[in-house]
Amino acid sequence: MPPIPTRAITIIGFVVLVAAMFALEILARRPGSRIPTVGQWLGYLMRPKLGRFLILLGWWWIGWHYFAR
Amino acid sequence: MARDGTPAPRDRPSSWPSRLARPRRPAHPVLAVAIGAGLAVYAWVAGSAAPFSRGAFLAVLIPGAILALLAYGRPPERIPPPEQLDVPGTSYWLIVLTAFFEWEASAYKDNSWPWHPSFTDLINPLLGPHVVKSAAILVWMLAGWALVRR
Repeated sequence: MPPIPTRAITIIGFVVLVAAMFALEILARRPGSRIPTVGQWLGYLMRPKLGRFLILLGWWWIGWHYFAR
Repeated sequence: MARDGTPAPRDRPSSWPSRLARPRRPAHPVLAVAIGAGLAVYAWVAGSAAPFSRGAFLAVLIPGAILALLAYGRPPERIPPPEQLDVPGTSYWLIVLTAFFEWEASAYKDNSWPWHPSFTDLINPLLGPHVVKSAAILVWMLAGWALVRR
């Protein structure tokens, strides 16, 4: 059996982590779940004005990073 | 129900039904359709801009400026944030996010591309087709609107 290339390991790692995020979001939406949804923990972080500014700045940076460059 | 009157975890409602029961849409359905169509057209035009061009920069700058004005000038009705987060429940997110950023940071260490590509290196080719890039821009704008309401 040939060794798995490092690149494939990297991609698998990203796929597993992104899948884990989706799984957490689904688990968070189950009744009685103690896990917060993305919206809930983002909302919590956005309670102070600085948190709100930084989260919105991060959103804009993602757009610039992926769509303008 | 717990003895102190606070709902036990099993008594807490799911996030799904509450969202479905209280949809936050514009008052008039025609307005909702018009806004959706306008965003789709904008995303389609923005998706055609060449990378590193002035058009691509403006295509990202304009939604950012509009949302900033809305967020600080005329904020919409916001979804009340939770008073506190469950620490063990939140720790799952922290573990996954920390692992993600560690995996991403290791791509930059030693400049190891193509053996350890960064997330951006993997995403950029997927955004090549015009329709995919436009759809991603549309999702990005809707995510921004969802954040402004938080």
